[in-house]
Amino acid sequence: MKNRFLLVMLTVLFTVLVACSNEGAESKKDGDSSDYPNKPIEVVVPVGAGGDTDLNTRITAKYLEKELGDSIVITNIEGSGGSTGIKEVLSKKPDGYTALAYHNAMLVNNIYGLADYTAEDFKYAGIGILDQSNTFLVSEKSEYKDLDSLIAYAKENPGKVKVATEVGAMTHLQILEFQQKTGVEFNIVDAGGASEKITALLGGRVDIVPTSLGLVKDYVESGEMIPLGVIAEDRLEGAPDVPTFKEQGVDMAIDKVFYWAFHPDTPDDVIEVFSEALEKVAENEDFIEEIQKNMLTSQFYSSEETKEKLNEITEHDKEVYDNQ
Amino acid sequence: MFELLLDGINSVFTFKIILLIVAGVFLGLVFGSIPGLTATMAIAICLPITYGMDSVAGMSLLMGLYIGGVSGGLIPAILLKLPGTPSSIATTFDGYPMAQKGEAGKAFTYAITASFFGGLISIIALMLIAPPLGRVALQFGPFEFFAIVVFSLTLISSLSGDSIIKGILAAALGIVFGMVGSAPIDAFPRFTFGFDSLDAGFDLLPVLIGLFAVSEILITAEQKVKNNKKKKMNKIQYRVKLKEFLSQKWNFLRSTLMGLGIGILPGIGGGTANIIAYATAKNVSKTPEEFGKGHPGGVVASESSNNAAIGGALVPLISLGIPGDTVTAMLLGGLVLHGLQPGPMLIQNHGDVVYGIFAALIIANVLMALFLFLGMRVFVKLLSIPQQILLPIIFILCVVGAFGVNNRIFDVGSLIFFGIIGYFMIKGKVPLTPLVLGFILGPILETNLRRGLMLSEGSFVPFLTEPIAAVFLLLTVFSIGLKLFMNYRKKVSG
Repeated sequence: MKNRFLLVMLTVLFTVLVACSNEGAESKKDGDSSDYPNKPIEVVVPVGAGGDTDLNTRITAKYLEKELGDSIVITNIEGSGGSTGIKEVLSKKPDGYTALAYHNAMLVNNIYGLADYTAEDFKYAGIGILDQSNTFLVSEKSEYKDLDSLIAYAKENPGKVKVATEVGAMTHLQILEFQQKTGVEFNIVDAGGASEKITALLGGRVDIVPTSLGLVKDYVESGEMIPLGVIAEDRLEGAPDVPTFKEQGVDMAIDKVFYWAFHPDTPDDVIEVFSEALEKVAENEDFIEEIQKNMLTSQFYSSEETKEKLNEITEHDKEVYDNQ
Repeated sequence: MFELLLDGINSVFTFKIILLIVAGVFLGLVFGSIPGLTATMAIAICLPITYGMDSVAGMSLLMGLYIGGVSGGLIPAILLKLPGTPSSIATTFDGYPMAQKGEAGKAFTYAITASFFGGLISIIALMLIAPPLGRVALQFGPFEFFAIVVFSLTLISSLSGDSIIKGILAAALGIVFGMVGSAPIDAFPRFTFGFDSLDAGFDLLPVLIGLFAVSEILITAEQKVKNNKKKKMNKIQYRVKLKEFLSQKWNFLRSTLMGLGIGILPGIGGGTANIIAYATAKNVSKTPEEFGKGHPGGVVASESSNNAAIGGALVPLISLGIPGDTVTAMLLGGLVLHGLQPGPMLIQNHGDVVYGIFAALIIANVLMALFLFLGMRVFVKLLSIPQQILLPIIFILCVVGAFGVNNRIFDVGSLIFFGIIGYFMIKGKVPLTPLVLGFILGPILETNLRRGLMLSEGSFVPFLTEPIAAVFLLLTVFSIGLKLFMNYRKKVSG
């Protein structure tokens, strides 16, 4: 009996120790940038586990660990469109041991007036993954199978075509831009995140779901859903049969960029180390093959290029938002 | 189908995978039994480990964790009146009074048996009819969800204890707390008073653990720890007669089906299933006044429904690729990382893995029951640990768990805040469960009302004319009417 009790106590103690050890390690010494990294790097993913942001970050992190020689701990800090996690990164010490992994949505928060940070408020290690598979998806029972027939139908029935989005998400801006460029008027309805939107389409409650082709390739393969086109400059290698929006006369191309950001006061040489590792990962054959399965493109953008790219996206998004 | 299952069982019957399931179930039970630590956390911690394994092995570990994590909560629920996980809140209502009467052993036997068979039935349903069941779930849109939630809220009357007014007050308070943070749909921050930390609102786990565990610890601390007069442990009865079990068969069946159904609907989840199944069992029972005083039916309802919700939650994940809660969202991530896209093609393209998962679930379910039966004589000894030692440890674990949700110290603050609220509510004899229901269901209600109005372009008519929604709203009116009528009759005859 005594032994058993001891065992229980030891387990408890162990749990507490493990839980506390991270904290202890962080406060022990301030990272000396010359031997960065010398302890695990915490990467904040400001959305829940299981989505594409989380997955892409985890896949990249797996390869990054090998290049950096230290482990990467991913923590999901969800809430209010990512801003809870983003603010958490800004509140941490600028020593390079807390990074943010996210995508375009961060910029949207500011445009919608929901957050006060912009692309200028961070330093970037770079971009590793591009998602150019943004698409408008319809059900197999849909009356329109391409953009021409959709536009014709929507013009005849203004405000009747139900398009699913989450207000404030990237897809909302895509719909606004589509309306502006084609002169149609949709009924934009909120249907939640990626998987909830698919539920709504399968249940016949909405007509169009803007999403990434990589997330729904199974449904496309089974024929239950049809992509009306990809919103990109060129057709995708993984889906050569799907025409681009541009080919169909709608001048839109959207890159969803997955970047790695740091607190703005982080030393440049630390970011340089991370950036070099990211570049190597982006050129790694195994990595490229792994993400291609999900219709993603591997492309490296340096620190400066990333900032430029994000500013470019912000300007474009702002224009769309202001024109509505 | 049967051959496929045999193949699946074959593929998991290797030493390594069985060991992984054993480890998963054990670790899951530990996480489940500690208030503050949950199945979600166990899976989050182990998910990265599974990346290095092949897909069947990785998923087997996760299934073990899932089943163990949901089941472990019954241990502290019965012994200490602390729900180990949100799934075992209702287990405390009758499990703890049973333990107080010296029937802890019997309560365990009821709970473990109900968990085992509830889990088993839901796994079988998952294997046999996942695709059609998944399609049924698709029929539930904003109108239907709105109606279901309205109906569920009427259950507050059965969970209110002595005073319905206090119950409604608690539920309203829960709805208000649920509104704190970014509003659904437009993300406009409400009730944040300028604090950035409140932007994301209160997380469910600190709210639950604060209300049910921290408050209970405060109450016990106040009652000046009565030097645990060693209760006569020797005479604990574990055997439950078959006849006693069979008297619960309809209750068991109903609760299992409810758990399965609630599990299938994305977004409601196991944390609510046990409360709703409990309230229904009480409503239907011929002796509702016995509930809350140590009625085995309460334990059976809660524990069969929460385990049945596991199979339910996996239905839309496996058949449609749609995760219904945080656990299944992580399982989705785990599958995708192994190159498997859950969805309509999963069973066709990767039947071996799917049936491997089914086999792992069955084995994990058996192991869960085995571990709990073997362990229950040990768990009971927990009671002999002096409370002044046990409770502070539990409190620390609650804090660790609250911090672990989002790695934010803010959540620890809200844990303590809700602990204090819970303490005053217990003092004022205000029931806690309606607050939890309001907190969970309020945001679902609002989101679906607003989404429904967007779909219908502002018209309320579809809420009444969509068939499924109409049925639930009619049930709501009927159940309120019945309650009023019965109260009236009681008054007249009394």
